[in-house]
Amino acid sequence: MAFLLDLLIRFGIDLALVLLLGAWGRFGSGFIMIGVFSVEWLYPIVFELRKGGATPGKRALGLRVVMDTGLPVTPAASFIRNLLRVADFLPLAYGIGIVSLLLNRECKRLGDLAAGTLVVHARPVVLHDAPPVATPLAPGRPLHAREQAAILSWAGRAKRLTPARFEELARLAAPALPPESTPGRPRDLTAQLLGVAQWLMGRRP
Amino acid sequence: MTPVRFEADHAATWDEFDAQLKLARQGKAVDGALLAARYRRVCENLALARSRDYPMHLVARLEALAQEAHELIYRRQDYGLRRLGTLLRHELPCAVRGQGRYVLWALALFGLPLLLSYLLAHHGPDFALRLMDAAQLRRYESMYADGKNALGRVREADGDWQMFGFYILNNVGIGFRCFGAGILAGVGSALVMVYNGLAIGAVAGHLTRVGLGHNFWPFVVTHSAFELTGIVLAGAAGLRIGVGWLAPGRMTRLDALRNAALAAVPLVYAAFFLLLVAAAFEAFWSSAAWIAPSVKYGVAALCWALVLGWLLLLGRGGSHAR
Repeated sequence: MAFLLDLLIRFGIDLALVLLLGAWGRFGSGFIMIGVFSVEWLYPIVFELRKGGATPGKRALGLRVVMDTGLPVTPAASFIRNLLRVADFLPLAYGIGIVSLLLNRECKRLGDLAAGTLVVHARPVVLHDAPPVATPLAPGRPLHAREQAAILSWAGRAKRLTPARFEELARLAAPALPPESTPGRPRDLTAQLLGVAQWLMGRRP
Repeated sequence: MTPVRFEADHAATWDEFDAQLKLARQGKAVDGALLAARYRRVCENLALARSRDYPMHLVARLEALAQEAHELIYRRQDYGLRRLGTLLRHELPCAVRGQGRYVLWALALFGLPLLLSYLLAHHGPDFALRLMDAAQLRRYESMYADGKNALGRVREADGDWQMFGFYILNNVGIGFRCFGAGILAGVGSALVMVYNGLAIGAVAGHLTRVGLGHNFWPFVVTHSAFELTGIVLAGAAGLRIGVGWLAPGRMTRLDALRNAALAAVPLVYAAFFLLLVAAAFEAFWSSAAWIAPSVKYGVAALCWALVLGWLLLLGRGGSHAR
């Protein structure tokens, strides 16, 4: 998709060049060919080396190119991944590139494998929020670190899960809840576990 | 320490850091030392938050901050003329000599077919006709024929510019493809080299045989210094990358491929540079018919000496502190 967008943009630039410089006769056609060369070979390199690390098409879809280490892409790596496009394109319509994408876990084409680069989503996906407000409630027994982490990450997903599913998950943690005789214990299971989450966060009643 | 306390203690630093990063992203001047200090602090916080299993939203926020700063701090910034200067004067010749084995292989793959096909085409008409069809050969003949329409006539300046654009689009494109095709076990590059060697040799031999050498040689002799070297270097880069993963030695194939690509890139830069120069010479100098052939041969000798001197001599001794 990003590739198609870029193709369109490049085609647009080529067309604009032809329209603008075409009137200049052979002098202009020389520049048109230099322009076509730049758009064909240098366009992705130049854009990847700028701050955004992505061609306009990739940027529009929230993608960017980074090194395997997470660093911004280096000039050498950008040259490699974009010149090896030639090999990825073979035998036709990115045949080798697509096979390569399917064969490795990180979905890299040959150029990315050789350059040690990675195409990633630029913005991280936020799945967890802060646990919602609740009256802190001491758990029924001391909890392991893993149990604590599980309860906290359950609470962090309060906004993203349906109430029914949220409640269902809370039931799994029922053994950690305080006994019924505890003063101030809410009736609702979800509310109880949210209280425990707040307790684990460090809030006290 | 509880997550709430942890956040209360450090949230102010994170907010300040975030604001500073935003400013730096917009290209405004920020206090580098302060930024670095805060970056280290955030990394430390991130490590603590992870090891203590703090809630996911805290860890995610610290991760995002650290990642953003990491990119900003380790961004390459030395894209100046100075950098280009060291690259041309020092790094490229050294890299080419460092990959000497592959350059020699590429030279052989290109030069031997060229020589062979030159001799065969020079010897009789059969060989050239086997390689190309008659119409193509006639076109070459008419290009270098004596008379007004041939290449090498006194051209208008705008025609020169047109040819400059064409040579860049065509020749540099061939060079880049020659490199890119190399990842297919080097076979792609080898094919391009052998094919181009055969074709160039056949045309040269054929034209010399039919008696148009006096137009052909002065035209090609100067820019061939840059162009043929450029093609050989592009081919060498392709071979390097192909052989790199075919014979990985003690590395995994993937690591070997990455190393090979990194080693091959300076050769591509050198080829790119040479092919650009070649395009300029071919368009503006080679075609200038008003220059006497003897002058062209003189300049050509100088150019060959320059190119070979550049690749063989420059950047020796004294490892520059980079």
